[in-house]
Amino acid sequence: MSYEMIATLMFSSMMLMLLTGQRVFGAIGFVAVVAALVLWGDKGGYDLGFSAAMKLMKWYPLLTLPMFIFMGYVLSESKIADDLYKMFHVWMGGLRGGLAIGTIGLMVLISAMNGLSVAGMAIGSTIALPELLKRGYDKRMVTGVIQAGSSLGILVPPSVVLVLYAMIARQPVGQLWLAGVLPGLMMAGLFILYIVVRCRVNPDLGPVLSKEERDIPRAEKLRLLRAGLLPIIIFATMMIPFVNGWTSLVESSAIGALAAFVSAVVKRRMTREVFENSVRKTLGITCMFMWIILAALAFGAVFDGLGAVKAIENLFTERLNLSPWMILILMQLSFILMGTFLDDTAMLVIVAPLYVPLVGELGFDLIWYGVLYTITTQIAYMTPPFGYNLFLMRAMAPPEITLRDIYASITPFVMVMVLALVLVMVFPGIATWLPDYVYNKP
Amino acid sequence: MRGLMHGYIGAVDAVNLRIGRIAMYGIFVLMGILLWSSISKTFFLPSLWTLEMAQFVMVAYYILGGPYSIQMGTNVRMDLLYGEWSTRKKAWFDLVTVLLLIFYLCVLLYGGISSTAYSLGYWGSEPTSFLAGILIGTEEVGRLERSPTAWRPYIWPIKALMIVGMFLMILQCFSEFLKDVLRLKGEDI
Repeated sequence: MSYEMIATLMFSSMMLMLLTGQRVFGAIGFVAVVAALVLWGDKGGYDLGFSAAMKLMKWYPLLTLPMFIFMGYVLSESKIADDLYKMFHVWMGGLRGGLAIGTIGLMVLISAMNGLSVAGMAIGSTIALPELLKRGYDKRMVTGVIQAGSSLGILVPPSVVLVLYAMIARQPVGQLWLAGVLPGLMMAGLFILYIVVRCRVNPDLGPVLSKEERDIPRAEKLRLLRAGLLPIIIFATMMIPFVNGWTSLVESSAIGALAAFVSAVVKRRMTREVFENSVRKTLGITCMFMWIILAALAFGAVFDGLGAVKAIENLFTERLNLSPWMILILMQLSFILMGTFLDDTAMLVIVAPLYVPLVGELGFDLIWYGVLYTITTQIAYMTPPFGYNLFLMRAMAPPEITLRDIYASITPFVMVMVLALVLVMVFPGIATWLPDYVYNKP
Repeated sequence: MRGLMHGYIGAVDAVNLRIGRIAMYGIFVLMGILLWSSISKTFFLPSLWTLEMAQFVMVAYYILGGPYSIQMGTNVRMDLLYGEWSTRKKAWFDLVTVLLLIFYLCVLLYGGISSTAYSLGYWGSEPTSFLAGILIGTEEVGRLERSPTAWRPYIWPIKALMIVGMFLMILQCFSEFLKDVLRLKGEDI
């Protein structure tokens, strides 16, 4: 049997296993170890699964994973971000669509404090959403704003997705994070632009706050501005030692987790229940990630052993005669397509080991591709029928938001994200300028 | 028979719950080690042991926490079709596929056993009987494997811990299997 055949067989049996609804790590791991046993059973094929566990242990940046997850849960469970919302509410409420714009700002700040989209989602749908609905904002637009905004969590540093990508692509996490900054801000800007334009065309979508609600003494307004200090402090205590090289990435993540924990305690939000929930959920989500990565590493090792990447590259470049750019665009399209029906976490760890080496072989910059990869994941997170964010939204949003609303709400924002993706593809500088500037200081 | 199944499920779930609840606080141990690492690096001499110790704690955290995460149901499934099925149909599919999951875990466990035997200085082809021999005292420990770093910790304790965790994981998955059997017999679990 040719290598391409084996690779195809493995891939299709994995898809079949995933469709049965078994836990993702089981589906991937089973196919991986069976393939290893069949291919190299007598020559160490049986311990391929376990050596993945040892490889996983030695991969240092992975220690950031529980730290960032813990940080995110502390933030969302303790709701220390609610006066942050108030700040935007008071300062932006006077504009048309101002609360929606403020929500995007809120999401950017939350993204700078944690590495997943869950915290943004939780804070957005429990704190911002009810307020915005009460003030007569269009529910579809608002739902879209929160989903799109919270997805920035994985693009703006710290980002868990980029940590995973770094592991697969063997690229430095620091540079990848810096590469995510400008595209993240650009995307937030595009969202705001979209909101402004929509509200100008149709003012009913985002009415200005009533006169009495805007009438807040200046002193109070300034006092609320202090809320904005919290994310800046947390972000700074985490990033300054890291960027200056005093601590490693992993140590910084622990400092960040401690900072979030301490601020929750200081603000008297760390109740027994919040503590229990954030510690327990951190374990649950970390285990989910680690066991999937464990299985995916074994799967990837079989692929590596087969030389499957080389075979696929040959197929594209020599037999089908495609240019590298065409392959890249095809890959992104298939990625988005897969993202619509594949579980996102699975996609992250399954598709990447296949795509990333291929991108490297084709001669593209892997730091830049990391940003493309993350934006595509963001889109996948949001697209029906199977987006992680969609489910979270359904679970957390008030009952008057139906599933139909949620599906309808994301379309324009997904289009904005595709636009951002195209912009980063055409102008790689958006992603690569900042890491180049910081790491190659003259 | 049913009583036996209930007994097994109850016992395994209770043990794994307790272990998972302890592992859960590993996050603070991990955080403490990393914070000490940054403090000692900035103000005193960098510690040699922190990096590897943190890695060991992380492994213990997710391996021993694994069974509890299965109990909590945090391990994602692809619910394209699964999400729409009835409880009975779900149970039927899980009944079969969880065996494949157990097979995967068994292969992991076997790899772990042979790797642990290696770290205790055994290079032969019967790692399971060697480990059993160590436990009952009929086998001698050979040259111990150490990590190739400045700290040079022994490797076998963490590998042994991983074996324990994977074994608990198998027990937990078998408990899930029995739960599906009971569900198919019409019980509410």
